[in-house]
Amino acid sequence: MNKTVNINLAGIFFHIDEDAYLKLQRYLEAIKRSFTDSQGRSEIIADIEARIAELFNERVQHDKQVIRLKEVDEIITIMGQPEDYLVDDEIFEDEPKASYKKQSSPSKKLFRDTDNSYISGVSSGLGHYLGIDAVWVRLLWIILTIGSGGSFIFIYILFWILVPEAKTTAEKLMMTGEPVNISNIEKKIKDGFDNVSDTVSDVAKNVKESVSGAAKNVSDAAKNVDVKKQAGSIKSSSKTFFDTIGDIILFFFKIFAKFIGVFLMFIGAVTLIALIISLFSVGAVNILNIPGIEYANIVNAANTPIWLVSLLTFFAVGIPFFFLFYLGLKILVTNLKSIGNIAKFTLLGVWLISVIMLTVFGIREASEHAFDERVIEKHELNISANDTLNIKMVNNDLYKNTRYHRSSFKMGNNENGERVIYSSDLAIIVKSTSDSLATLSIEKSADGRSFEKAIERARNIDYLYSFENNTLLLDSYFTTAVENKYSDQEIRLTLYLPEGSVLKSHPNSSSFFYSRGYNGSIVSYKDANHYLKILDGDIECLDCPEEEKFEVDVDIKGDDSSLKINKEGVEVKADSSSLTIKRNNIKGSTESVNVSLDSTGLSVKSKDD
Amino acid sequence: MKIENTKAQMRKGVLEFCILSVLKDDDAYVAEILDTLKDAKLLVVEGTIYPLLTRLKNAGLLNYRWEESTSGPPRKYYGLTETGKLFLKELDSTWNELQNAVNIVTSQKTTKK
Repeated sequence: MNKTVNINLAGIFFHIDEDAYLKLQRYLEAIKRSFTDSQGRSEIIADIEARIAELFNERVQHDKQVIRLKEVDEIITIMGQPEDYLVDDEIFEDEPKASYKKQSSPSKKLFRDTDNSYISGVSSGLGHYLGIDAVWVRLLWIILTIGSGGSFIFIYILFWILVPEAKTTAEKLMMTGEPVNISNIEKKIKDGFDNVSDTVSDVAKNVKESVSGAAKNVSDAAKNVDVKKQAGSIKSSSKTFFDTIGDIILFFFKIFAKFIGVFLMFIGAVTLIALIISLFSVGAVNILNIPGIEYANIVNAANTPIWLVSLLTFFAVGIPFFFLFYLGLKILVTNLKSIGNIAKFTLLGVWLISVIMLTVFGIREASEHAFDERVIEKHELNISANDTLNIKMVNNDLYKNTRYHRSSFKMGNNENGERVIYSSDLAIIVKSTSDSLATLSIEKSADGRSFEKAIERARNIDYLYSFENNTLLLDSYFTTAVENKYSDQEIRLTLYLPEGSVLKSHPNSSSFFYSRGYNGSIVSYKDANHYLKILDGDIECLDCPEEEKFEVDVDIKGDDSSLKINKEGVEVKADSSSLTIKRNNIKGSTESVNVSLDSTGLSVKSKDD
Repeated sequence: MKIENTKAQMRKGVLEFCILSVLKDDDAYVAEILDTLKDAKLLVVEGTIYPLLTRLKNAGLLNYRWEESTSGPPRKYYGLTETGKLFLKELDSTWNELQNAVNIVTSQKTTKK
């Protein structure tokens, strides 16, 4: 069984087998390429077609008879191979066929070769297209898939969807590159998108023809000039020569277009892979309800489902890049299957919806932080001038990573086993006051969609401290219930100390003090663990060491004496006397006595026993 | 040098002359010209003739008219123009000279042997 095609040859109607049709088409195409327009190509072709029609007509006895491959072969034998048509000067060259062969280099098309497939025939199709064994293509897929953590499978699936399967004989021939281009007119009318590729393939075809034609013309021109045969032909040849320059420019344009195609494909593929990976790492975590979900949810003050947001982002970013990839592939592979108008508009619709929804969510989320409000509680501390106030931070093992200041937040269970958000986003500010007693001001702040909401969230921050025996015990963390969300909650403790009082903060509090001057603070993180006397807007360190001005090592050696001063201590030697002062002992010795002072006590020994 | 090429060159060199000669007395359409040339074994394949005809026509040596055919497509009947006739006369005498010359040269060779 064979598919047949109806053709009109010089105004006569013929039924012809598809394979025979392809052969005839290739034959005519090849003949066409052995002529240039200046030789009257269209007229010659018309004459040849008329003759072929005549010859077919002689062979067809009745209307329903079909032209088979046999008839076409007979006709070709009668008419001669394309190179037999060459009557020009090329015949006087030794290798007239060379240029012809070059011209007829077949243009391949990418199809899926389902006859030799493992999965979908993508690899063997690509193998045909690239002219390499499918094994290597498969190997490359496997390497790329493993290398990209599996996401290349997606690219494979794209190929699977977009590259058509070679179903008919014609397509199978095209896949292996046997025939010359066939215009699948019906198919292309259906797809609006294909117009682009049509033009590209047309350009490609023309360029191919004209480049080889050009070579011929140039040699024509050269010969004609040499022999000076006919002035007219010089003229026509030189004219085509200039056409040729245009064609060559077109040829480079085509290469450029292919380059752009590769580039677009690359960008599209990389972005899609990145998106898929992120969708599965962020999105899937939430869809599958893995514990991490809580964290994502408490950030999201507007209560938008995270999986939805990541899916929308995937569509909003992925769809344009999918089209980019598609366009790139389209430029490279002209017979690419169209994804169809329905799919295109669906994708466009999904994209628009995603963008709109993301915008709405974005606005909602942003509005959650529209108000930044604070509540302040003031507590008087029984500290007056000349009293010493100790500050110490209190940690809680329930809340990890709250020993030091951190602006991040975490989730944990409180003493009652309830889920809470906790953070150590705490700052301590010290200011001097002329009041007689010290004051601790606790300022809680939070964001919210409205003033009330922000205030409510600020109020819901739980923070504890205690004060006894002149010691202020401050929690190094604060907590708030999960439903309050993480909305930039902060605690700022401002300590107003009367002038003349002394402050000593425990070293564990140093990370909560910022630098001096931060919000008017007179104490910096460097001042922890020192007794600080509060002055008017300043402090005086009562036990800070004098700063070492310089450090020196001295090592002098004479004949019998030396002097050594270094970190170890001091060592003086003169004749038989010496004196060493070290961290834990002092030793002196003269001709007659040894003196040593260390932790065991003082010992004096005479050498004149 | 390939023998086929040399043969083809020889044949193609006289082909234009022969085509014009076929049309000397009467107009003919392509199949008729082809039959004559093929009978004379001057042509092996038909394809060669089309570019030649077009070339001769473009050079103003030939013209053609369309004629309906009872079977198959309409036919192009070729005929000689006035220039063509002059051209043919010129070629005719050249051919005679050439034939003479070739005869002399080839026969001389054989006698020398």
